[in-house]
Amino acid sequence: MIWYKAWLETRWIFGLFVGLIVFVWLTPLWMPLFGLWLHPGIPASRIWMAIHLGSVFTSFFVANSLAGSGVNSQTAYSPAPGNDGSMLFTLSLPVSRRRLLFVRAGLGALLTNVLIAVMAGYTLSQRPEGANPLQAIEYLARAIVCTMAVYSLSVLISCLLATMWQLYAGIFFWMMVLVLQLKIGFVAWLSPLRGMTLISYPLTAPFPWAPIVASLVFAGICLCASVLVLQRKEY
Amino acid sequence: MNEMIIAADGLSKSYDGKPALKSLHLEVPRGSICGFLGRNGAGKTTTLKLLLGMLRRDAGSIRLFGEPVDSEASSIAARRRLGFVSEDKDLYAFMNVDQTIRFTRAFFPAWRRDLEERYLDLFQLPRKKAVPKLSKGMRTQLMLLLAMARGAELLIMDEPTSGLDPAMTEDVLQILADLAASDGTTVFFSSHQLAEVEQICDRVCIIDRGQAVIDGELDDLKADYRRVLLVFEGTPPRELASLPGIDHLSQRGRTASLLAHGNVEALVDRARELGPISVEVRSVTLKELFLDHVRGE
Repeated sequence: MIWYKAWLETRWIFGLFVGLIVFVWLTPLWMPLFGLWLHPGIPASRIWMAIHLGSVFTSFFVANSLAGSGVNSQTAYSPAPGNDGSMLFTLSLPVSRRRLLFVRAGLGALLTNVLIAVMAGYTLSQRPEGANPLQAIEYLARAIVCTMAVYSLSVLISCLLATMWQLYAGIFFWMMVLVLQLKIGFVAWLSPLRGMTLISYPLTAPFPWAPIVASLVFAGICLCASVLVLQRKEY
Repeated sequence: MNEMIIAADGLSKSYDGKPALKSLHLEVPRGSICGFLGRNGAGKTTTLKLLLGMLRRDAGSIRLFGEPVDSEASSIAARRRLGFVSEDKDLYAFMNVDQTIRFTRAFFPAWRRDLEERYLDLFQLPRKKAVPKLSKGMRTQLMLLLAMARGAELLIMDEPTSGLDPAMTEDVLQILADLAASDGTTVFFSSHQLAEVEQICDRVCIIDRGQAVIDGELDDLKADYRRVLLVFEGTPPRELASLPGIDHLSQRGRTASLLAHGNVEALVDRARELGPISVEVRSVTLKELFLDHVRGE
């Protein structure tokens, strides 16, 4: 039943992103209706790069939105003292906090990865050169693992902050990472954002093992920290 | 001796170094209806949250159903046997009444469909109505239904009747009294409505600044405590304050009002030595007990 609750809680945000993806998917159909078209002079590779970055950008917000509510999603939007929302009802049920976190975070991760897979499929289908199965697997693995770093941090933030601050905190953190990776080579080498976007042309660059491993480690740390925070948190 | 469903001893809790509970001692016997009274900020909600494992205690011990609650596992085991109604009555905004009932039912094998149907009917809760569209009174009713239909041995409630109209309040109090009488359910609830507490409780605990100032059977308390009114020719003498057995002393003009318990006759004899022109001894109400204990000197 916790899965059921998690689904009811998440389905609208999930549906919103499904709608957004379908909207983008149908771009060739609706653009002409509004008298819009792509200039024929734009190189196909540039269009594909735009689709790829758009997909990455969407993944970032999917991860923040679906995890952003995390286990605290039932708490009140406002962080006013004593405003605990329905969390008190949840905590009065005979369920461990760890299980609440795993189910909620697990479903959010599953739905995030479904959306990433759909977007990756669409993105690769638009690649002018196409993509062989190995490239497709590489692209998908990179997208999923690196996005899970974003997702896991968002889960941790959701255990720490009230709902209204969660998305802002996540965006602020990754903007700081972005700034640092532009200035410090080591940060850029490890950054999940580089793994997601790859400044060099995707699929032609070497597989980014460093950000992949860093993302896995970072996600693991965030999830462990989330469990610890939630176990100690008082409501 | 009655089995204690709730037994807390030396319970202490601070927020940012500011004590909210100071070595609270609390006992609630099985099958009783216990009113938990106190001013705002006295520590009532903190106590309830500590019992439910939502807060961690700084010191002291808690036993629920006779078992120590000292880990998450033991807290979960206790929560299988109790129902809780929170002060805010907040439920999931993304569910309707039926979904909320089905969701909660899944956690409690002893769920009583007969009670579910009975309270749905009594409260006239529409199954398909979304929770955010329910009034506060209806949300309270739904929470009460969820707490009562799970077959709980203990109901812990924070202001259970807030948001209910007088007729529905009466119905709910009657239901709680029936549950205690017929099923042996123990009810422990905080309230500011002294009349409600006096109506259905057989036991009260009054808490003030984190400490229990009164804890016992309501009838015993009423029998034990007395109001002594003394009228003097002039200002009441200061020696009154040093008389033994006084819980509270207040003065207005030439009249001194004492709240006392125990050997009140001895107290009155001592007071007569101070030369009052009139002495009156009368029984006290719960409201008097409460106000005299939480207002201080």
